[in-house]
Amino acid sequence: MAGRLLALAPTACAVVLVGYAIVAGGYFVALAGFALIYAVFVTGLNIFMGYAGQASFGQNAFAAIGGYVSAVLTTTWDWPTLPALGLGVTGAVACAVLIGWPTLRLRGHYLAMATLAIGLIVYEITVQWQSVTQGYMGISGIPPLGVFGYEAASDRAQLVLLSIVAAACMGSAWLIRNSRFGRALVALSGSEDAARALGIDVTRYKLAAFVLSAGYAAVAGSLFVHVVGFVSPEIFGMNMVVLGFTMLYVGGIGTVTGPLVGAIVINMLPETIRELKDYQDLVYGAALIVILIYAPGGLASLGALWRRPAEPPKPEPRPPVPEVVEAHPSEARP
Amino acid sequence: MNQSRSLSAAGVLGAALLFAVPAQAQQVYKIGVAAGLTGYAAAVDRAWRDGLEVAVDYVNGKGGVLGRKLQLVVEDNKSEPQEAVTVYRKMISSDKVDIFISGCVSAGNFAAAPLVVRAGIPMVLCSILPPQPEQVKWAFSFLAPPRFEVEKRYEYLKANTQIRKVGVLHDPSPYANLQKGIAEKIAPDFGIEVPVVEQYKQDDADFSPQISKMNAAGAKAVIKIGLGGSTLTTAKNIKQLGLDMLLLGSIDDLAVFKPTGETLGAQFMFVAAPAQVYEALPDGALKAEIGRFLPLWRAKHGERDPFWGGKAWDAVMVTMAAIEKANSVEGAKVRDAIETISGFQGTGGVYNFSPTVHQGITTNPFFMATMVGGKVQVK
Amino acid sequence: MTKDRATILETQALSARYGRIEALHAVDLDVGAGELVAVLGPNGAGKSTLLRSIMGLTDSSGTVRFEGEPLPRRDPVAVARRGVVLVPEGRGIFGPMTVAENLQLGAYLIGGRGPAFDQRLERVLTLFPRLKERLDQAAGSMSGGEQQMLAVGRALMAEPRLLMLDEPSLGLAPQVTAEILQTLASLNRGGLSVVLVEQKAPLALQIAARAYVVAGGTITARLDPREITSHDQLARYYFT
Ligand SMILES: Nc1ncnc2c1ncn2[C@@H]1O[C@H](COP(=O)(O)OP(=O)(O)OP(=O)(O)O)[C@@H](O)[C@H]1O
Ligand SMILES: [Mg+2]
Repeated sequence: MAGRLLALAPTACAVVLVGYAIVAGGYFVALAGFALIYAVFVTGLNIFMGYAGQASFGQNAFAAIGGYVSAVLTTTWDWPTLPALGLGVTGAVACAVLIGWPTLRLRGHYLAMATLAIGLIVYEITVQWQSVTQGYMGISGIPPLGVFGYEAASDRAQLVLLSIVAAACMGSAWLIRNSRFGRALVALSGSEDAARALGIDVTRYKLAAFVLSAGYAAVAGSLFVHVVGFVSPEIFGMNMVVLGFTMLYVGGIGTVTGPLVGAIVINMLPETIRELKDYQDLVYGAALIVILIYAPGGLASLGALWRRPAEPPKPEPRPPVPEVVEAHPSEARP
Repeated sequence: MNQSRSLSAAGVLGAALLFAVPAQAQQVYKIGVAAGLTGYAAAVDRAWRDGLEVAVDYVNGKGGVLGRKLQLVVEDNKSEPQEAVTVYRKMISSDKVDIFISGCVSAGNFAAAPLVVRAGIPMVLCSILPPQPEQVKWAFSFLAPPRFEVEKRYEYLKANTQIRKVGVLHDPSPYANLQKGIAEKIAPDFGIEVPVVEQYKQDDADFSPQISKMNAAGAKAVIKIGLGGSTLTTAKNIKQLGLDMLLLGSIDDLAVFKPTGETLGAQFMFVAAPAQVYEALPDGALKAEIGRFLPLWRAKHGERDPFWGGKAWDAVMVTMAAIEKANSVEGAKVRDAIETISGFQGTGGVYNFSPTVHQGITTNPFFMATMVGGKVQVK
Repeated sequence: MTKDRATILETQALSARYGRIEALHAVDLDVGAGELVAVLGPNGAGKSTLLRSIMGLTDSSGTVRFEGEPLPRRDPVAVARRGVVLVPEGRGIFGPMTVAENLQLGAYLIGGRGPAFDQRLERVLTLFPRLKERLDQAAGSMSGGEQQMLAVGRALMAEPRLLMLDEPSLGLAPQVTAEILQTLASLNRGGLSVVLVEQKAPLALQIAARAYVVAGGTITARLDPREITSHDQLARYYFT
């Protein structure tokens, strides 16, 4: 019982913090908002990396596609925010299919390499295609999120909306993890051959996970530009990938609530030690190391550790010589 | 509908909380600074912050403004827009700053502009102005218009040389792009042709192809637009190719110009800011203002380039002038007052703000200079 | 050796290579319906490669017929659909998932839960009561023996027409090995066709109807367990 409660603790803390931000206002709202957006982004990353055990270094590309499509459509073409977000996600998903389809059928790390490339390419496009993206100048005046004519203009309204979206993403991640599809992903991450032997179409499922993760990233990218009201290439730079990885590992890779916990901790942690000024980065780094040492499975899995003390799989040495030498066939006869 | 009303009510409540600063508790005038102390803008923004410190010490030494001491709240935006939004938010709601005098990370200032405008806080910037008109209303730039750096070079070529064909070499940053466009547009006004415009990336290591192309097209000078080590690279490439082209650099740190001058000698010229050529300036208001700042700067920072620090000094001095003129520290009143500051002599030139002009430098304050034996000389 | 029943699995000239190494050379093997066939041989003989080739997990040449129809090469999903199930070497248990999830994955091809699923689960849990107590436990935290039971249980969730096991005794205590082999024997008595790869030959021979000895990638002997009476006799096949 205590274990079960403890398992919920990190998530409960996350929810309380967001709730506090909604009530308290102030710049906590900005922090909580970013945290929730990143929670969406990392949830996608978690499906591909945590569940399916694959590596992508280019998730920022999909966030950029979502973000820029949203930004351009709502500012230049006066689209409402929801369809703009929809088209951004569609674009990112199409792009993910185009990259994933050829590379995932190859064995080895082609996809990881391709994702690295796509991250750099999309960044370059956002910088160079100035007639559309306005390069480093960025696009400003992006309207806040709106649903059916209602615009979430105030900070709190935005945060409430983000909470709903983030909750929906966590919920969908839970459903995915506990579906036949989700189990198949975790299976193929353990052993592709074992998964195949069970009838799981490994290539197709990897592609599906990749595309899903791109979709989540695009939603996050789009949310980001509508919340901030501005987009420029640096927002979706390599930094986003590094941050995403950090959140995933600190929160707990492969767990459903890990992305939310990680996103909130990584967003809030530097703020709590902002007073340290020049030592901020140092303490932040040290804190990360401590977390990863004492909670190697991430914060979200702390409770699980408590519940059943980890019984490491016993090493099973192979018998070096054929067993026949020791056995007695006569005894072995029925 | 009902829900939307209660949500916007919550918003109004939030805004009311933001403004509910107890008036008499405020014995200080808080200046918020979002600066890229780390990341790509670090060199300029650290100098900007250090200049602000010098200026604030100076003002406080004289008793502050309207009986209030100045207090700097500096936050590192890590040269990133997202980080900028967070630190602006923090300074608005936690520190409750009275004004922003922020660094040169344009994207960060743009990203935060909507919040700052909503909070009714003026933003004085080292960067260019945000693009939205309602944001420009609250923002003031201390940067010289990009046109001036180009014009100075064209003027020089026209008046002192036979060169009428130039190549433009620029990086993809917003400021460089702006300048590039201008360089193409105003060239004919000076009887100059620009047959080749080439872009490079800040971390490229070799510009020989671009330079050769310019040379082949008959360009006799390279108008270099962009900061940092790329200027030295360009100089080295010109030298390696054995060309007699001039290299005309844009505003940068003297630390960049020194090795470039050593490489290319008199073939290298650059646009210099007044504070960078202080010793060579004729006596007058400009020299006097720099003379007020420079000793304080040098006392703390030695021979470090005083240009950006001087700009920051100007930003503080203009703000002080506006507060005194408004006889108020209230954001809206200070904003209105800055719009009336004109003919203000700073270390970086004369500032002429008006309701329609929020970029204060309106006359070209720059010089053309060379680096001879490690010393700056005005041409 | 005579075959008195229909052949369910038959390989002809099955060969497999890893780059330059030919791990399997022209193997002809058959399994009768309802028969338990053991494949014995020393380390590196090619036993695992044989099973993987049948399953379509490795590039191979030659033909494999299952229930009279050729099995596609290099398409394990299609092979699994035909009812061939492999319990791989090292069990292939999905450690981070619970026992229940592992079992659900066994029945992956019948889709979601339903009466068919519940029936299969019931059967497997009756067969391995130890799994029933541990349904919510992470599979990786179970003991080796329990994991092997799970591996067999998971395979049974697929209701295989042919069950192939690659060294289920690996790293297990003798009693546990015996327990598992007895379970296999009883499944076999119930009509299940089984290919059992084992290094512990005496144990395998207790329950096998026939045995092949593989060495150096080829079949070096076909044995009738009833004819093997001494240790020396068996060792001879290994070291020729
Ligand atoms: N993936 C691989 N790449 C290269 N060679 C391989 C690979 N897998 C197996 N081999 C080689 O093929 C040969 C047969 O290996 P296999 O695993 O089939 O033997 P085995 O009979 O199962 O042995 P063991 O009893 O040790 O499991 C060995 O020489 C092995 O080194
Ligand atoms: Mg083997």
